[in-house]
Amino acid sequence: MSLLRQVMDHPLDPGYEAARRATGGVRPQRGVVTRIWVGLLAVLLGAVTVVAARELRRPEPSALAARTLLESQISERQGDVDTLSRRVSQVGAEVETLRSDALSDASPSLLDTLNRDGVLSGSTALQGPGVVVTLRDAPVLKDADVDPDSRVQDLDLQIVVNSLWSVGAEAVAINDQRLTPVTAVRSAGDAILVNLQPVSSPYSVVAIGDPGKLQSGLARSPAGDWMVSLTNFGIQSSTVGQSELDVPGDDSVRLRYARPVESPATDGSGDATPAAGGPTSDEDQGYGQ
Amino acid sequence: MIAVVGLIVGVVAGLLLQPSVPAAVAPYLPIAVIAALDALFGGLRAKLDGLFDEKVFIVSFLSNVVVAALIVFLGDQLGVGSQMSTGVVVVLGIRIFSNAAAIRRHLFKA
Repeated sequence: MSLLRQVMDHPLDPGYEAARRATGGVRPQRGVVTRIWVGLLAVLLGAVTVVAARELRRPEPSALAARTLLESQISERQGDVDTLSRRVSQVGAEVETLRSDALSDASPSLLDTLNRDGVLSGSTALQGPGVVVTLRDAPVLKDADVDPDSRVQDLDLQIVVNSLWSVGAEAVAINDQRLTPVTAVRSAGDAILVNLQPVSSPYSVVAIGDPGKLQSGLARSPAGDWMVSLTNFGIQSSTVGQSELDVPGDDSVRLRYARPVESPATDGSGDATPAAGGPTSDEDQGYGQ
Repeated sequence: MIAVVGLIVGVVAGLLLQPSVPAAVAPYLPIAVIAALDALFGGLRAKLDGLFDEKVFIVSFLSNVVVAALIVFLGDQLGVGSQMSTGVVVVLGIRIFSNAAAIRRHLFKA
């Protein structure tokens, strides 16, 4: 206890009093050499202290290195993905051109069917007049707990999208994710997935169709009431008609069961054999969903 | 006066030059900073008590830093480095608090 008492009661370095006693109560006059030493030591100590403090504020070098490595890997892979997706759309456009070239002479009706199927399946990008419905999460104070009710839910987007379809939208995309016959709008944890890709607030639902009809129809549809009631939770929404809108195509439409014939039939018999064993009930189900 | 000016010069130099610190001394940096704070508060209190002495200030500053680092170094060698660090921080922390209280009494008379 005496040690603690000593520390508590006499925190001042005893050297100060000792120095004062040694000189008999007057301020000591020191020689030039001592003063230079004192000055040099003071510079050194100040520098050491501030350097130590700076060093302690710096993040751990190893953690920093790992972070930098991860960051560079992420951006590298991101670049790869970008290059590959550019290549995909480039090749897709090439295929499209070649197909329409080949079919425009040989079988124009087949080309029409293909184009219509492309629109319906969402694999071709489209443009035209339409409306943009924007839904925005309620503003949240920084670091505050987020009330799940104040965020846009998958159900909200589903209702808006279904109402848009029902009032005559011809193509719909959410945050540049085209809705196809096999698209699901659903939530996984906190995120909303469209085409299995996470989308985040603000959600902009782009629908192509007659803007006036879409706007008035949407206001009268269940989605109109729904969006009004969403304002109670702080979720803002707006519907804007525009004369020129783009919706992207969805590259993920692909064959699941059918595969191309290995060697094209050359016998010329009119009895065309179905490529993959004929349409069985399995294949029907595969496309029906 | 020389000591205070020297300290300021040192602080500015440290901020401007930004020298790199060898990894070996990294464990002693927190203790060195605490010891430096203790010496600074001690010096300020001595100044207010009218007992300030530059030589005593600088020597106590230097010895504080060195002894604190030495204790932690010894603790590291014996395998009780973190406990030693805690002990040094507790003792110096109490001194800083007491000196700060004395400075407060001087400045605010309360």
